Amino acid sequence: MVNIIKRMRKLRELLWIRVGPGALILPKEVSKISMEFNTKINGGHRGARKFWREMLPRIKYRNPAIPIQISRHNDANGPAKLYIYTSPSSPSSTTDQNSTTTTNSTATQTPETAKPTHTIDLRMVPESQILAELIKATKAEVIEAGEAELSEMRDIEEQKMRSAKDREEVREKLVKERREAELLRLARGEAGLA
Amino acid sequence: MAHAKSFIAPLSRCNFPSIATSKPEFARLTLLPYQSIRCAATGTSANAAKYKRKEQPGFQKKKKSRSTFIQYDLKNAEQFSLVDAMQYIRAFEVGRNPTSSKYEMHVKLRTLKNGPVIRNRFRLPHPVKTDLRICVICPPDSKAAAEAKAAGASLVGEDEIFNQIKEGIVDFERCICHMDSLQKLNKAGLGRILGPKGLMPNAKTGTVVKDVGTTVRNMVGGSEYRERLGVIRMAVGQLGFTPEEMQRNIKAVMETLKKDIAQMSDRISKEIHEVVLSSTNSPGFSLNGEFRSPNSVPTKDLSNPL
Repeated sequence: MVNIIKRMRKLRELLWIRVGPGALILPKEVSKISMEFNTKINGGHRGARKFWREMLPRIKYRNPAIPIQISRHNDANGPAKLYIYTSPSSPSSTTDQNSTTTTNSTATQTPETAKPTHTIDLRMVPESQILAELIKATKAEVIEAGEAELSEMRDIEEQKMRSAKDREEVREKLVKERREAELLRLARGEAGLA
Repeated sequence: MAHAKSFIAPLSRCNFPSIATSKPEFARLTLLPYQSIRCAATGTSANAAKYKRKEQPGFQKKKKSRSTFIQYDLKNAEQFSLVDAMQYIRAFEVGRNPTSSKYEMHVKLRTLKNGPVIRNRFRLPHPVKTDLRICVICPPDSKAAAEAKAAGASLVGEDEIFNQIKEGIVDFERCICHMDSLQKLNKAGLGRILGPKGLMPNAKTGTVVKDVGTTVRNMVGGSEYRERLGVIRMAVGQLGFTPEEMQRNIKAVMETLKKDIAQMSDRISKEIHEVVLSSTNSPGFSLNGEFRSPNSVPTKDLSNPL
């Protein structure tokens, strides 16, 4: 099992999923979010992927009941879109949208239920702008980080800087030791020949 | 030849460091006899050092080896209730294919390093459905064939399968043979193809059976666990499971584990130390044994598909 200290440090850093860009509460009407983009970043799909990796976990953490679907296709010229589905004030309809995510790109191109209420084009758009547009479209409520969380974030940042510095030092020392050992080995190898 | 070499080598060795050193040393180089003596002297001392080094580790080697795995204190560890852990895990798995991601459970035991390991196979209340393809060798129109098909075998038959395998098409991960078909199987000479893959039915591995139906059913829904380096790891659920389903599965795992531990002989003590829940793309969350904490989200929110 992974070392307990390593695991606990990772869990402490879970703070990133609770606060930061993307920590927002979506209004009740939003029933589903789906995205569609290329598997590779060529052709302006970079922002979409970054948005998925960095901000979607935060959105999902704050809105666990809203299904989020992603389908990725292999066509660099294909669509890069974010669809927001809303259902007018009937939150129970979220359950009957039986979403079985497939890598099949047609799954979201022709949504089985209804037309998406908002469609955001993601091509050549950085992730922060995607988030801004999502907030604008849904009028979501952004969660601001509290003072305690901010200070903890600073702590983590500090620790990371410290560990980077330490890593550098240890690395230097190690490289030096190895080089010396290598020189010694060479010298001894010649002595062995003699 | 060897002589010439042995003269050149020490000289070159002496020259190399002296270039870097200060001038007085450089002057010494002109005295050739003195120099050669010095070289010889250093050579022997290096040799002596080499022998010395060989002896040293022998003295230090008698370090007492540890007989148990390193244990740690969980007092300061951050632990989660099941619902909280699931909320985090589902956030980490956002946008993934829900059929490919699985919940995993890791159980750390307090146990000896060299003691017997615990292993078993059982059925979870909600099986982690894997697309395990099972091949059953039995007469195609017998009762056993119908049972096997009903239980979820993907390939049932005799000669057709033999021919297929001989052509090199092996599209299954488990192979079961009915008692009565064993002779036919042995005659077909498939050991060369199936043997290296570990698929050849054999009474020793329990793949030659009379009751095909139940074996297949156990294989399809069953899961196996085994202790490795003091930890048991196993898949306990699909990502689409609700917290209640996960709770039942985890409870079932823990009960079987406890039963299996109790069944071992008295001299061996194994205790459960820590239970960690993780998934394919998430970090591990140490569980504190509770279902939900006071401020966790309602379970209904975690029940719908991802």
